[in-house]
Amino acid sequence: MNYASEATLIGFKRSKSRPAIRGAMALAMSISALAIGSTTAHAAGTIAGTDILNTAQASYDGPSGPVVIDSNTVTIKVDELLDVTVASSDPGDIAADSGATQQVTTYQVTNTGNGNEAFTLTADTAKGGDDFDTSNAVIYIDTDDNGVFDAGVDTLYSPGSNDPVLAPDASVNIFILSDVPAAATDGQRAEVELLAVAVTGSGTPGTSFAGQGDGGGDAVVGSTGADGEASSFFLIQAAQVALVKSATVIDQFGGSQAVPGATITYQLVATITGSGSLTNLNITDDIPADTTYTAETITLEGTGLTDSDADADAGSFDGSEIAVSLGTVPGGQTRTITFQVTID
Amino acid sequence: MMMKINLLKRLAILAAVAIPGTALAANNVSLSSDVFVERTVEKPDGKTAVMLEEPKTVIPGDNLVFVVKYKNVGSTPATDFSVTNPLPKAVAFNGTSDGTEIVSVDGGKKWGSLATLTYTRENGEVRPALMSDVTHIKWKFNRALSVGSEGKLVFRGTVK
Repeated sequence: MNYASEATLIGFKRSKSRPAIRGAMALAMSISALAIGSTTAHAAGTIAGTDILNTAQASYDGPSGPVVIDSNTVTIKVDELLDVTVASSDPGDIAADSGATQQVTTYQVTNTGNGNEAFTLTADTAKGGDDFDTSNAVIYIDTDDNGVFDAGVDTLYSPGSNDPVLAPDASVNIFILSDVPAAATDGQRAEVELLAVAVTGSGTPGTSFAGQGDGGGDAVVGSTGADGEASSFFLIQAAQVALVKSATVIDQFGGSQAVPGATITYQLVATITGSGSLTNLNITDDIPADTTYTAETITLEGTGLTDSDADADAGSFDGSEIAVSLGTVPGGQTRTITFQVTID
Repeated sequence: MMMKINLLKRLAILAAVAIPGTALAANNVSLSSDVFVERTVEKPDGKTAVMLEEPKTVIPGDNLVFVVKYKNVGSTPATDFSVTNPLPKAVAFNGTSDGTEIVSVDGGKKWGSLATLTYTRENGEVRPALMSDVTHIKWKFNRALSVGSEGKLVFRGTVK
């Protein structure tokens, strides 16, 4: 791709020399039209290896009519600028359980330089300032470019053998899979960093690698230092549930004696603690021996639930036990369930 | 008969360009083009200075200075002339040293000072033309270039 610049010095003299001038202008026009046709807009800048040509052209009226002369041509090659950025694709901390293996963090590596460039990738799980380190980190390249890690589809990265080569402005999604140690406790965070470095070279901006640029020029380290890094974080979010059961007896004589015919109201308080949530939380309780369940007495947070398991509400009684489906309950909340039996 | 005369005229023009001896006599204006790049150089005292260098290579973002020198080295004045410089597509216009130029933002169809031009975007939207839209730069001389007189035209650009 050559970009031509030509200065045209045109003498205008109305009369006999006109046809020749027209010819010269037409020539200049056609050349510039060609240059416009070869335009490619690029955020990363002019593509490495492009020659910028500058030739001045003069046309004027001399003693024997119009003359066209060319100046010297100045040729300047555009060097490769080595630049890269890395960004975490994870919107925030990734919830993880202690002991979980092959947990995924996601990054995007973008070639912000102006030439085709390969990048060396490194995972760093031993960052300081966090609470624990993940282990057994491996890097995968998002082969199907869907932004989601697919086991068996995406390619395991091996430094030096399949370093991703990116065109100017092109990006690739990268995954790091690592294991959360069993010793990690609720609320602890771990930093996982991806580092990408231009294979041609990196360092102080302005550092030049003679002749190593894409397109035959030099390679010059750009403002990013030709390396980039970004971090994602794991956050251990555990939750536990504690059940406390209590009973209140009211006898048929207005007292609180546990005599046959007396009503026992059982209260179950489920307290969920931790920074995570419990999903699909179900509470069940057997009806004690020598008692009979009083139909339609299940309540959740003071609201009555039906005994039927076929309806939409959370409660049910199957003849031997009551059950309440609480669904997902975040840490820090409680759920209170009551039901009644009579003593046989 | 007319055809023959035209043909002869054309041949004469061709000869003027092709034959070195004739061309030399006609070459009464010399023209040269130079391109410099601004490099920031750190001096021993720690201060930085901007130096102009003649580069072999540049990188996107480099500031270039284009210098077109002209001189009438002949024996007759060159009358009523102008200089046009289509901008290399890899270069964004960054102004001239004297501001006497007119420019085009549409490949050389319409000309004027930048403030008087508009730029039509691909979606048909029209907005005032910007420096980065410039495709051609032209200097119009309203006087003859007398024998022996010379000058230079300077414009700046940034490598895209």
